[in-house]
Amino acid sequence: MALFQQQHITWEDLPVPYRVVTGHVPLLVEELWRCRGADAGGAALERLCCWTGVAGSAEELSLTRLQQEEEQTVPPLRRRRRNRCLYTTPPVCCSICSDAKLKDPFSLAQKDLQNLYEEIKKLLVSKAELKVLCDYYFDGKGKAFRPMIVILMARACNVHSNKEGVLLPAQRSIAMISEMIHTASLVHDDVIDDSDTRRGKNTINKVWGERKAILAGDFILSAASMALARIGNNTVVSVLSQVIEDLVRGEFMQLGSKENENERFKHYLEKTFKKTASLIANSCKAVSILVNSDPEVHEIAYQYGRNVGIAFQLVDDILDFTSCANLLGKPSAADLKLGLATGPVLFACQQFPELHAMIMRRFSSDGDVDRAWQYVLKSDGVEQTNYLAQHYCQEAIRQISRLRPSTERDALIQLTELVLRRDK
Amino acid sequence: MAWRSRFSYIGRRHLSIFANPSPSNWTKVVSDAEKIVGYPTSFMSLLSDELSNVAMHVKKLVGTKHPLLNTASNSDLICDSMVIYPSQRNLAEITELIHTAFLVHRGIVNLKEWMNSDGPLKNMQFGNKMAVLSGDFLLANACTGLAQLNDSKVVELISSAIGDVMQGIYHESSTSAEEGSLTVASWEDQTFLPHGALLAKSCQAAMKLARHDTEAQNWAFQYGKHLALGHKLNSDLQLFVKSGSEPAVFSLDSAPVVFHRQIVGPERWRHQLKQVQNMARQIDYTKLWGLIKMERGVSQGLDLCSYHSNKALEAMKCFPPSEARSALENMAYALTKF
Repeated sequence: MALFQQQHITWEDLPVPYRVVTGHVPLLVEELWRCRGADAGGAALERLCCWTGVAGSAEELSLTRLQQEEEQTVPPLRRRRRNRCLYTTPPVCCSICSDAKLKDPFSLAQKDLQNLYEEIKKLLVSKAELKVLCDYYFDGKGKAFRPMIVILMARACNVHSNKEGVLLPAQRSIAMISEMIHTASLVHDDVIDDSDTRRGKNTINKVWGERKAILAGDFILSAASMALARIGNNTVVSVLSQVIEDLVRGEFMQLGSKENENERFKHYLEKTFKKTASLIANSCKAVSILVNSDPEVHEIAYQYGRNVGIAFQLVDDILDFTSCANLLGKPSAADLKLGLATGPVLFACQQFPELHAMIMRRFSSDGDVDRAWQYVLKSDGVEQTNYLAQHYCQEAIRQISRLRPSTERDALIQLTELVLRRDK
Repeated sequence: MAWRSRFSYIGRRHLSIFANPSPSNWTKVVSDAEKIVGYPTSFMSLLSDELSNVAMHVKKLVGTKHPLLNTASNSDLICDSMVIYPSQRNLAEITELIHTAFLVHRGIVNLKEWMNSDGPLKNMQFGNKMAVLSGDFLLANACTGLAQLNDSKVVELISSAIGDVMQGIYHESSTSAEEGSLTVASWEDQTFLPHGALLAKSCQAAMKLARHDTEAQNWAFQYGKHLALGHKLNSDLQLFVKSGSEPAVFSLDSAPVVFHRQIVGPERWRHQLKQVQNMARQIDYTKLWGLIKMERGVSQGLDLCSYHSNKALEAMKCFPPSEARSALENMAYALTKF
C-alpha cells in the first residue's frame, strides 16, 4: 500500500464536487491511485493531481509511464513527493485486510434480527384492514439494512464501553424504531411520487388508495414514537425526533431546484443527508448514548452512520441509472422521471452543459428523460459518483476504527464494502 | 363519493377543536375562555420558512377543487393562559399542530375515485402532494416539540393519542354508511378515537407536566373525553334541532342518523334510503332529514349530549374553584344549548 505524506492543498484548488466533501482530499488521491488502470480512474487521477499540484503536468502522469515505473521499487511519483505530506492511511485498515476470517455483517446480526419484524408487528396494535396495511411491508422481505447497522453499532459500542457480549433491550428497540420510521416514510414517499411498486409488490396507495396509505404511515410513525418514549431516555427521544423532522425537510428540499451549479451539489448532498443518512446517523448515535456517556463515542457512531448513509444513497442513485427494472423491485430512471437530478446527472452536467437547462425544468419536456439518461451514460458521471461514495465509506471506516476492536466493529467496516458493491 | 360529501361537511368547520358554524352561546363561552387565558398566539410561530414555501405552492390550487384549499383558507389561534407553565403552553400548541395535521391528511383524495367533474387530475395529484407534505411537516414539528418537553411519559401519551386519532379516522373512512352496523355503544367507542382521544389525553398530559397526581390527571382526562364527545354530538345535532335549517347534505355517520338507524332497524332503514334516492342513487338529504326528525333518533342524541355534559361538569368539580374552572364548566353547559 502506498504511503503518502501530508500536503498543503488549498480548498480553492479543487473542483466543486470534491470541495464539498469535507477534509480528506488526500485520502481521495490515494483511493484514485488504487483505482489506476481503469480508464476513468486514471483520467480522474490525472485531473486531481494536476489540481492539487502533486504532478507538474498531466503528461508526467500518463498511465503507461506509471505502469512502467511500477516495476521499479520506488515509483517516481513517490520520490517526487517525499518532501510533501499527505495523510497517512490508518494502520488499522491494513490489519483488516490481512484478517481472512471476516464475519459477514448479515450473519453476525442475524440472531438479534431474527424476530425483529414479528416484534414490530406486535407494536402495531390495530385491527382489521388497518392491521393488514401496517404489516404489509414488515413481511421480512426488506433488506433490514438499517436495523443491522444499528445492532452492529450497538454491540461495537458496548464492547468499547466494557459491556462485551451484551445487547441492551433499549438498543434493540432503537433498531425496530429506525425500521418503523423508515417504513412510514416510504409509505408516504410512494404517495408523493405516485409509485406503483415497491419491493416487488404493489404499493399500499395503489391497492388501498392514497388516503388510507397516508393514515397507515401516520399510524406506524405514532407506534414508533410510543416505543421511543417507552425507552425513557429524553436525549434519545430528541435525537430520533430530529430524524422525523429531517425526513420531511428532505422531501421539501426536493421540491426546489438551485440555479447555481455549486449550490446544486451542496443542496443534493444536504438533501441526501436529510432523507437517508440522518436516520442511520441518529440511530447509531442513539444506541451509543444508551451505553456510553462520552460525547466522542456518540460522535464516532454518528459520523459512521452519516457517512455510510450518504454512500448508501449515492450508490442507490447510481443504480437508478445502471440497473434494470426487475432487480431493484422498482423502476429505474425513476429519479429522472420524478424530475430529480442526482449525483450522476450533476457530474455529467459538467461535461454536457446541455443538461443544465433540463435540470432546471426538471426533465419535464418530451424526450428529456431519455436524452439525460444518454448523457449520463456517455459521461463519467456514474464513475465520479462512485468515487464520491468510496470516499464517504473511507471516512466511515476512519471513524469507526477509533472504537475498540471487535468482530462487530470489523463487520461495520466490511459493511461499507457491501454498500459499494451492491447491485440492488 | 363518500369522501366528498364528508369533506364538504367538514369543510365548513374551522381548524380549532371547538369552532362551530352558528351558535352564539358556544362561541361566546369559548371567547370568554380565551380572555381568561390571555392573548391568543398562533402556532405558526413554531414553524418556519417551509410554511411560506408550502403556502406558495398551495396558492397554485386556487381554482381547483382539492379539499386542502378549504382547510388552508381557515386559520385558527390557540390561547395562552395566566398561570400556565411554558411546557403546558407548548403542549397546547403541539395539540393544535396534531389536530391540524390530521385535518390536512384527512383531505387527501383517492385518485382512483377521481372524476372529470373534479377538474384536471394533475391538480388533485399536486394537491395530494402538498397535503401529505404539510401534514407530515406539522406532525414532525409536533414530535420535536414533544421531545423538548423532556417528559417521556407525556411523549408516550400524546403519541398514543396520535395513533388513536389515526385509527379513528381510518375506520371512519372504512365503514360504509349503508351497512349501518354502528350501535350507540360502538358509536361512542368509535367516535372517541378520532374526536375525543386527542383532547382527553392532552388534558391529562397538561396535568402531568405540572406534576399533578394521577387522580387529577384522570379527572382532566374525563373532562376532555366527555367535552369532546358532547361537542361532537352537539355539532351533529345542530342540523336537526335548529328550526328552519334544512341541510343540503349531512354525514350518514352523524349521531342522530346512527341512532335513527338503530331505532328503525336495518330493513326499514334500507327502505327509507330507497325512498329518498333518485334513479342515479343520489340521496335527497332534505327528505331524509325529514324522515329522521320524525323518529326518536334526535331526542336520543340530545339525551346523550346532556349525559356527556354532566359527566364533564362532574369531572370539573374535583378542581378548586377558579376563573379557569368556571370557563371550562361554562363550555360544558354550552353543549346542551342549541
